[in-house]
Amino acid sequence: MADALTQLGFASWLSVLIASIIKVTLILVGGSVGMMFLTWYERRSISYMQDRRGPNRVGPQGLLQPISEAIKTMTKEDATPRDADKIVHFLAPVVMLGATVLSFAVIPWGRMFPVDLNAAVLFVIATGGLHSIGMMMAGWGSNNKFALLGGMRGVAQLISYEIPQVMAIIPVVLMTGSMSLQKIVEAQNDFAGLGWYVFSPVGLLGFALFFTASLAEGERTPFDIPEADSEIIAGYMTEYSGMKFAVFYLSNYMSNLAVCFITATLYLGGGNGPGVDALGGIAGGLLSLIYFLLKSFALFFVMVLIRATVPRLRVDQLMSFAWKFLLPLVLVNILSASFWVALLRWDQQWPKLTEWFGAPSTADATNWGRLAIAIVLTLLINAGAVALIMRLTNRNVQKHLYTTDEELALGLS
Amino acid sequence: MTLSHLATEDVFVVERNDADFRGGQGMTKGLGIVFRKFRKALFGKPNSDRADTEGQFNVQYPEERLAIPEAYRNMPILLYDDATGHELCTSCFQCERICPPQVIHITQAKDPATGKPVPAAAKFVLEYDTCMSCGYCAEVCPFDAIKMDHDFELSTANHPELDVDYNRLLRPVSYYETIAPTMWSEVKEQAMKKLQNNIKRRPGDIGRDHGQKIKGGAPVAAAATPAAGAAPAAGAAKPRGPVAAIGKNMSEDKTAKLLAIRAANAAKRGGGAADAAPVAQAAPVVETVADAPAAASAAPTGPVAAIGQNMSEDKRAKLEAIRAAKRAQRGE
Repeated sequence: MADALTQLGFASWLSVLIASIIKVTLILVGGSVGMMFLTWYERRSISYMQDRRGPNRVGPQGLLQPISEAIKTMTKEDATPRDADKIVHFLAPVVMLGATVLSFAVIPWGRMFPVDLNAAVLFVIATGGLHSIGMMMAGWGSNNKFALLGGMRGVAQLISYEIPQVMAIIPVVLMTGSMSLQKIVEAQNDFAGLGWYVFSPVGLLGFALFFTASLAEGERTPFDIPEADSEIIAGYMTEYSGMKFAVFYLSNYMSNLAVCFITATLYLGGGNGPGVDALGGIAGGLLSLIYFLLKSFALFFVMVLIRATVPRLRVDQLMSFAWKFLLPLVLVNILSASFWVALLRWDQQWPKLTEWFGAPSTADATNWGRLAIAIVLTLLINAGAVALIMRLTNRNVQKHLYTTDEELALGLS
Repeated sequence: MTLSHLATEDVFVVERNDADFRGGQGMTKGLGIVFRKFRKALFGKPNSDRADTEGQFNVQYPEERLAIPEAYRNMPILLYDDATGHELCTSCFQCERICPPQVIHITQAKDPATGKPVPAAAKFVLEYDTCMSCGYCAEVCPFDAIKMDHDFELSTANHPELDVDYNRLLRPVSYYETIAPTMWSEVKEQAMKKLQNNIKRRPGDIGRDHGQKIKGGAPVAAAATPAAGAAPAAGAAKPRGPVAAIGKNMSEDKTAKLLAIRAANAAKRGGGAADAAPVAQAAPVVETVADAPAAASAAPTGPVAAIGQNMSEDKRAKLEAIRAAKRAQRGE
């Protein structure tokens, strides 16, 4: 965009500035409108899951409901507790929203990339990590026991789930050979736009693990312990009202949107789909945007479905799920991703194999054979690991269901 | 968790087979159930009669309404007889006494000539804002004068409006008959019998002088309530709460204005004779509100049963003469 403006006769610094402002505006507007749509979408779909109808009065099918809610929150009183740390209390929602909006800088909209960082994946994870700071600020600054408990829980949860989340991305980075989201999307464009990573055993497991960990990162049910209403009111948001509460809400839903977008980009091929390459140009870009939004909102529907189905976990269940279930599986997935990469690109790793099987990236019989071998091998590894760890978890749960009298007598437990 | 304090038969142990591999089957099953719910609610047929356990249960309230059961009770109302316009209330104070939140306030009517109490209420105020809809007043009333209404859309921005006075409490018996036919038929006979007895003890207009005028003498409730009463008599559309509530939901000056316009219209049509008495003025008002079926009753002998309106002037004069004679007989 900056180049086009320079050609129009603007000075180069000015054209960069104008292009950046336009991009920032588009991202902010797109993010907020997406968030507004998301709240409506979630409320409508969860209503139907609960045999209700949801907001359907304001505007066509209730689509304008988020706008009325926005006006409502903006006109509400903005109360700050007397003993709160005023500055921290004020800054917490800003930090939360800032962290979310930053991650939108690299998120692609279909095939349109606001910024193509070469370490975009890292950037997304890093900005996601900023959430815990905002949460802790809100919890501490409110000077409220429930807020502090919520903030502590939130930070503990975010730190625990960042590890499986980051490590679930490593297979994708390994398979692509790059951390750039644009390269990751391009790498999934084989098979007429359907070569998504989710169709490989490594990608499937990675998708499931990443999505689950992201649910916890976005504090979605069943991982909404920081906001557990029945225990600690609204967690770190307890002392917030009016516009500040709305900013928290905005940041939460925007980060959920970001999670859906990133999952769609990493595992579901981003804007790739049949027909995008054939159309090309602006039409192809629009089609890719439609594909991308469809994938993202389908993912969000799964989030809502999980919210409507699964009850909230306990804190210890949450932690053991992260460390005893997700983490081992993620490690195994990295292992099988390494096998996958080694098998599909073995000329780079082991030239001797090229002599036997021929060079990779050629669509001949031996290459299909290699693909088949890679699929079978990684499938065996992953399925075996899932079965083993599920069984171990099962037995572990079984063991701790009861404390026997002998154990009590021995002073165990 | 320790179970040692429990008797053995109290412990329910759920056997879970260790060897059984449950690869997230419970989770997938649960998600499947929720998704089926979603599908049925979104694409299935409406289920507002609760015939099925799945689907849309919602009743879209302002457009769709559930039928209200006959014994439903919201706020108390007072009844008056369609034919004579006499109120059923005798101010026996039973309801005022039993009312748990003490929101009923009655002033007994007195014979202006003798100063003796008359079986009728001069004032009747009910605080709707504090009423708890227990229905004790309707239970206890020996004259079946106070009944529980079905109209529940009473929200207002004007709080003082919720201190409802006699004029706005009165509904015709025929209105109550439409909302609770069997309940009324059970008590109808004795109620009307008691009313006839009471009418004999009510001198003059006492006992039927409410429900037709509020501030400024504008015949408000008379305009509204006979409309509700006249319709079933004509076999026309069912009268509903909102119809009877014309004077209730409007601000008072607005109502007064409306009635002034109606009175003016009526005067134009009926000529100067309509202005002769406020009673006569009320009759055309009824006519305009009650519309076609009641319009036939514009003649003084028509079936419209507003208070004193079905009497012709000479009949009324005759009645007054008889009463004056009686008073003279009693030596006043």
